[in-house]
Parts: sequence; structure tokens; C-alpha cells
Amino acid sequence: MTLTPEILTIYILDLLFLFFAIIAFILSLQILKSWNFEATTKLQYSLQMKSYLGSTIIKYMFYIKLPLFLFFIFTLDKLSFILPGAMCGAGVVNSNEYATVLLFLKLINLYLFAYWIVLDKLDMQDEQQRYLKQKFTIFIALFTLLVLEIVLEYIMFSSIDVKDVVDCCGTIFSTNDNTYLSKALSLSPRILLSLFYMNFSLLVLSAIFRMRYIFSLLNLLFIFISLLSLVAFFGTYIYELPTHHCPFCFLQQEYSYIGYFLYGVLFIGTFNGLVVGFVEFSKKEISRHYRVSMFFNLMYIIVVTLYPILFFIRNGVWL
Amino acid sequence: MIKLINTSKIYDKNVVALDAVNIEFKEGELIVLKGVSGSGKSTILSLIAGLIKPTTGEVLVNEKKISKIADHFVSSFRQENIGFVFQKYNLINTLSVAENILLPLVPLNLTKVELKSRLENVLKLFDIEDKKDTLVKNLSGGEQQRTAIARANINSPKIILADEPTANLDEKLSLEFIDILKELKSQKRTIILATHDPLFFELDFVDKVIQVKNGQIIS
Repeated sequence: MTLTPEILTIYILDLLFLFFAIIAFILSLQILKSWNFEATTKLQYSLQMKSYLGSTIIKYMFYIKLPLFLFFIFTLDKLSFILPGAMCGAGVVNSNEYATVLLFLKLINLYLFAYWIVLDKLDMQDEQQRYLKQKFTIFIALFTLLVLEIVLEYIMFSSIDVKDVVDCCGTIFSTNDNTYLSKALSLSPRILLSLFYMNFSLLVLSAIFRMRYIFSLLNLLFIFISLLSLVAFFGTYIYELPTHHCPFCFLQQEYSYIGYFLYGVLFIGTFNGLVVGFVEFSKKEISRHYRVSMFFNLMYIIVVTLYPILFFIRNGVWL
Repeated sequence: MIKLINTSKIYDKNVVALDAVNIEFKEGELIVLKGVSGSGKSTILSLIAGLIKPTTGEVLVNEKKISKIADHFVSSFRQENIGFVFQKYNLINTLSVAENILLPLVPLNLTKVELKSRLENVLKLFDIEDKKDTLVKNLSGGEQQRTAIARANINSPKIILADEPTANLDEKLSLEFIDILKELKSQKRTIILATHDPLFFELDFVDKVIQVKNGQIIS
């Protein structure tokens, strides 16, 4: 078993999360079983108190989980120093069969946890607590995902063997293989960029005309297209290497940790866009989500677009 | 209108403070809750102010189900509608009279002009203008009480709750407090007073005297 300070930190945090999540889970079950807002019984008053406790535990747990995703990525990247063959987090992710599943699960959880926080905020703004049952029902499902994430995290880190030689990102994200990934990475930049900028233009239009479901759907699409175009096209300008397609290397100091910024901005932008399709916000709130989403998505677009432009200005050629 | 419907409050270790109480207070009334210490008077006031939740039953204040809503809603409701004078006044000794009185207005982000005008009004009403900049720890019992009443009135609440307001005062100061009550009553405020001071039981401007005993309403 590999035990670095970062992995140990993750294990300790996981134990704490598990402890609090179990408490919240039990409280959620009790609340869902007997909640009746209109009742004036001893049980209902006790459930009201339990609902504040449960909501507070879940809310802070998720608040901490969100930035911890970046710590997880940082840990993967740091592990690459002790894994022979690995140049960045990609080698670590490819070192065993659980890491990729865990990474995707963490990404999905990231959006779901943030959604729960939004739901909780709405519930707390409503005197009748109309979202209460919904938020605790969703937590029951999220509890399962959280436990799965913790278990996978434990299995994944404990199956890393520092004696095994792993592939580096250059091999994993090569465009020469016959895999779906390499086919996606070798998409023509013209097609990729057309999709990317068209997606954003449609986002702008749907935001202007307040088409919430379309806006939400386009944000979902924007996540995939942005990640694909980042790895397949913009990344090559960040690395200044036409053959390098790694989603992890730009998290390193060598590239000014730009990956953290790009992933963070993309998450905030797309999450705020996605959520408008799922939650009935007030007019003021929905406008705020549109604005935040567009601001962060635009920031993402500007930063990634600047890389090839600056490269061209400096070198006079495209990669 | 304030209503307690079948309201009970049981504290830890099964201490029954209120036992299925039904009571109604009309707007503009001045009501005295009398009873010995531990009879449940303060619990009634705390329930009306939303400082505590009942164990069973319901508390309605101006049609709002104060016992059902979350604490942060109760806080804003209390801020707008209720002034509370505590038995020990709960003033902050290291702050001046003016600062203590202005404390409830802090979350409202009012302009300096508005703050000044509200402060001057209550300082004048409760006759403590000259003590405005004095630290609370240097005030006499009567002055501290007037500061507490001024603080409870800074939001011009429709309801004023006072818990044993004369417990720490001599008779002269208690009589001064009665004058203040008269003034508040003339402003059509709903006032509920919890006290065992007999001075309040025979006042001609009191609408109702309610006896509380062992957590129940006797009369």
C-alpha cells in the first residue's frame, strides 16, 4: 500500500466524511419517514431540529468536498513523482482499473453535490420548506454515491504499486491508436473549434432569450466539447507541442497551474448554467445564475483562445 | 393577535414548563402574567418571541406560525415586530448607551441620518439623552432598565415583551417604569409583562391579569 501525506490526508478526511454522512443519512431517513410540516406534535418539532442538523452537516460536507476535488487531482499529480514511467496524474490514473471510474464518479458527484447545495439554499429561503423532502431524498441517493466514491478511493490508492512501471501521458493520449479516445483527439481542429465556438454562441443566444432548458442542455454539451477541445487543440498551445494531448500536465507548476484555473472556471460556469434547467428559481435568482454562468464560460473561452493567438503572435505559425 | 394553541414546553430532564396552554392576546392590550418563579411566565414570553420552540402545540403571532418556521425567519420576524426587555436587561457593559440601543439596527444597514433620528427619538422618549455616551457598566439600575426598554423600542415594534422588568429596581424606579408602560400603551402597542411584583396587578390601564401556575393558566 502506498501511503503519502496526501493519501493519508484523503483517508482521514474520508473517514470523517463517512462518519458525518452516516449521521446525516440516518437523520434523512427519519425525516423522510415522518415529516409533516403542518403537524404540531413533539415528533414534528424534533424532526424540525433534526432537519437543521442534517442540512448543516450535509451542506458543510459538500462545501468541503467541492474544493477537495482539486486536492484529489493534486494528489494524483504528486503521485506521478514516485510512480516509474508516470510524468503526470494521467500515468497514475492509468496505473489501475479503478482510477478512471473514480475520476468520472468524482466529476459527476461534484455537480450533484453542488446541486444539493443550491436546493438546500432554496429550501432555507422558503418558510414552508417545500424543498425539504426533495433535498433529503436526493441526499439518500448521494449518500450511496459518496460511499461508493470513498470505497473506490480506498481501493484505488491501495492498489497503486510503486514497483509497477506505468505509461506516461504521451502514450495514453496518443492519437496513433485505434481507440475512441485517440479518434476523438485526432478530430480536425476546424470541426472541433466550430463546435466549440458554435456551442458558446448558442449559449449566449439561449441566455439572451432566457430559454432555460436549452441553456441547461447546451451547458452540459459545453462541458464535453470544452474538455475535448482543451485536450485535443488548446492544450497543444499550452504545452507548445503539437503532439501532446494530456489533461493533467497543465496542472503542473511548469504551466503556471493553469489547469486548476481552467477546470475551476469551467465547473462554475457550466454548473450555474446546468442548474437553471433543474430548479425553479425566482426571477432574480435565475438572472444571477445566467450571469454567473455566462461570465465564467466567457472567461474560459477567453483564456483558452488567448493561448493559440499569443503563440501565433510570438512565432508567426499555427501548430 | 397572539395565540398559543395547546402549547406545551418540556425542558430537559422532563421539566414541564407549560402544559397544554391555550391563551390569546389581542392587539393593543396590556397583559400582566403573574405567578411565582418557575410557573412558566418566562417560557410563554420566550415562545411568543420565538426564542424557543414548543414541545407540542402552536404559537401564532400576527397570523404567523412562529413556532413552525426556521430560526432565521423567526429572527427577522422578531426584528421587525417584537421588542424584548429581559430580566437582567442583557446589555453589553463595554458599549455605550447609544451603541447598545442601536445594536438591533445593525443588520438593517440604515443610513446614518436614519440611525440618528431613531436613536434621538427613543433617548428622548425614555429620558436618557444625557447618558447617551456613558458606558452601560457605569449606569444605575434604573438607567440600565431604561436603556433596555429603549433598545427594545428602537425598531418601533408592535409587540413588547418584558420579563420581570422591575425585579432589580426599588419602588421609585418601578413607578417610573409604570409611567413608561402607560406611554407605550397609549401608542397602541401590545404589551405582555411577566412579573410577580404586586405593583402591576391593580393598575387601571392593565387590560388583563393572568395567573400562571405550574405551567397552566389558572385565571
